[in-house]
Amino acid sequence: MTERPSPSEERLLAYAAGTLSPPEAVVVSACLAMRPEIDGWVRRLQGVGGAILDDLDPTPLQQDALARALARVDADTGEVVVEPPLNDMPELPEPLRRYALGKWRHLPGGVSVRDVHAPRDGDTRVILLKIAPGQATPKHTHGGVELTCVISGAYTTENQAYFAGDFEEADQETLHQPRVISDEPCLCVAALDGQIVLDGWFGRLIQPFVRL
Amino acid sequence: MIDGGEDYDQLIVAVARSRDRDAFARLFQHFAPRLKAWLIKGGAADAAAEEFAQEAMLTVWRKAELFDSRMAHASTWIFTIARNRRLDALRKDARVPPIELVPSPLEPDRPDALLEGRQDAGRIREAMAALTPEQAQVLHLAFFLDQPHSAIAERLCLPLGTVKSRIRKAMLKLRVLLEQEGGR
Repeated sequence: MTERPSPSEERLLAYAAGTLSPPEAVVVSACLAMRPEIDGWVRRLQGVGGAILDDLDPTPLQQDALARALARVDADTGEVVVEPPLNDMPELPEPLRRYALGKWRHLPGGVSVRDVHAPRDGDTRVILLKIAPGQATPKHTHGGVELTCVISGAYTTENQAYFAGDFEEADQETLHQPRVISDEPCLCVAALDGQIVLDGWFGRLIQPFVRL
Repeated sequence: MIDGGEDYDQLIVAVARSRDRDAFARLFQHFAPRLKAWLIKGGAADAAAEEFAQEAMLTVWRKAELFDSRMAHASTWIFTIARNRRLDALRKDARVPPIELVPSPLEPDRPDALLEGRQDAGRIREAMAALTPEQAQVLHLAFFLDQPHSAIAERLCLPLGTVKSRIRKAMLKLRVLLEQEGGR
């Protein structure tokens, strides 16, 4: 069995521990929805977290802590659950269905981009990318880390092909130009940290107009 | 799991069935000080950690009906609630959906899914005991600190690459030990 491109172990651990930045966690959650075997591993890691929690030396609480907790549950009328409406893209994996989506923006070269209104963390945000068959994104590097999960279709970089459910981690050192190899458009969800830096004279020329 | 004479699974079930305050109090006395410790180890101030423990335990009260002891141990379930809360801290707007790990419903065609969630606690401890002290240390820190890699590297005065490779080795070892024989 060849290894499919997947979130790194460090990233899965941070996801399981709840310490991953929310935009990155959104992309990982989309990947887990499509990859039951990784989802199963993250659930096992929850067991590790539970064991670590259980084994911690307790930190003393304030004296009235239990009384306050009981007063709270007595007064509790339940959680106000605001179930946000489903968005207009049934093709998205379930964890992405309840995020509001921005308008599609169409960039030169068959690339369309749409914001996912998930929690931001500083400069990091979540977008959907749709790239037409045979097209490539402009060649670019990243100000920070870029996490991508393929939802449908497929693309390839210099080293690796990515299919639905596959996960790519790119950082400052990665200069890449993903090219779509599927007959259908390639739909991806990505967390971008920092600005995309376009490469080459054409990239620098259009950079001011292309806010990915 | 029986720990110090308490069966925490049963206490959660009692809260779910009859809103049992006494059962809740016993859960609180075991888990709230540990939840607080978890946050403090991650760098939170005392008051914030105390409030976090209160909030997480209120969620335990509210969601007790969703607990399924076939899927997870009490400690795993409560850890997941706390983990969801922690990830949720940046979410200011209630209209934005939370990033939650929720117990997957039992799927009859995947009996192994049961074991993934509810793994023998003794086995998990055995696997963790098999790690080298350096691996165990980074694993623990990764469960406590925000921005695990860089924060851990800083705390241990190690290069980031060393921390990453230690985490990777620890995880691979756990995988081998926890995934063999379908986790039984």
